[in-house]
Amino acid sequence: MADPNQYLRLKLGDANFLLPGVPGFVIEQREHLVVDKSSAGNVAAWRTMQATRVPAYCLDAALRVSRHARWQRAVFLDAASQAVGLVADEVELLPRAETVIAPFIPPGSPPTRVGPLFSGAWVTGNRVVLVFDPPALVAYLQSLGEAR
Amino acid sequence: MKPRAPAGPRLHSLEIPLKGLTLIVPSASVAEVINPIDMTPVPFGEPWLKGVIGWRTLAVPVISLEVLLGTAPPALPEIVKGKIVIFYPLNGRKEWEFYALLVTAEPRPQVVDGSQSVAGQSEFLESPYIAAGLRIGEQTMFVPDLNKLRKMFYPT
Repeated sequence: MADPNQYLRLKLGDANFLLPGVPGFVIEQREHLVVDKSSAGNVAAWRTMQATRVPAYCLDAALRVSRHARWQRAVFLDAASQAVGLVADEVELLPRAETVIAPFIPPGSPPTRVGPLFSGAWVTGNRVVLVFDPPALVAYLQSLGEAR
Repeated sequence: MKPRAPAGPRLHSLEIPLKGLTLIVPSASVAEVINPIDMTPVPFGEPWLKGVIGWRTLAVPVISLEVLLGTAPPALPEIVKGKIVIFYPLNGRKEWEFYALLVTAEPRPQVVDGSQSVAGQSEFLESPYIAAGLRIGEQTMFVPDLNKLRKMFYPT
């Protein structure tokens, strides 16, 4: 999927986030992945493609590495350097007309080397769902692999 | 005591009560005062960024100035009884970059006209984010340094 106006809703713990379609992503079912059962390391599952395998991380609502078995799907993001994935409790492709995204960049120092993790927000009344900045999310997920 | 004669143009201002100190800001810098509402947490946000709220189709970051100033932030019951003051974007920022402060009570109008005395050294709150202190009535009120806040909010 590479439609910048279409968004994927990801439920991580008790929080929802949106991922824009810009970078292209692939949704994989849990049964098509190799679950990492080791207690060490940050990787929750691997996607195996020919000779390569791509890690997927399980995050909580605060985007900290978490370990639980409830997830059913993982979203893999294309990246020039190294693809990377994120497992989610729920994954839903939102209808295009349903999401109007307001610009939003959190004030303060960005937490990743490529900038803020969020670049927008879906505002409905007082409710806000943050929209990931794909390059920053990829950089953050890749840093979890480096942190092992 | 005889009131001092105005020494300059009248600036309509708002007294903004925080926990342990009071700010004074131009009324024109405030877009709206609202009751507390649920905030969405911002993962990996700065400690002073308490969350984000939806306001008039915009996402507005809510800031605890007490944390920036190094003073004790309000506890949850104080936040629930307080207000959220939404400010217009800082100079040079984009038109959608409203920001909000958590405050402990309804802001009150004040008029600053140059007759107020500047706070003495002993009353002054040492912080890079405070530009000045003014004696208004029996109280010292602090003028935030908006340029320094802008650099802290938008470092790049």
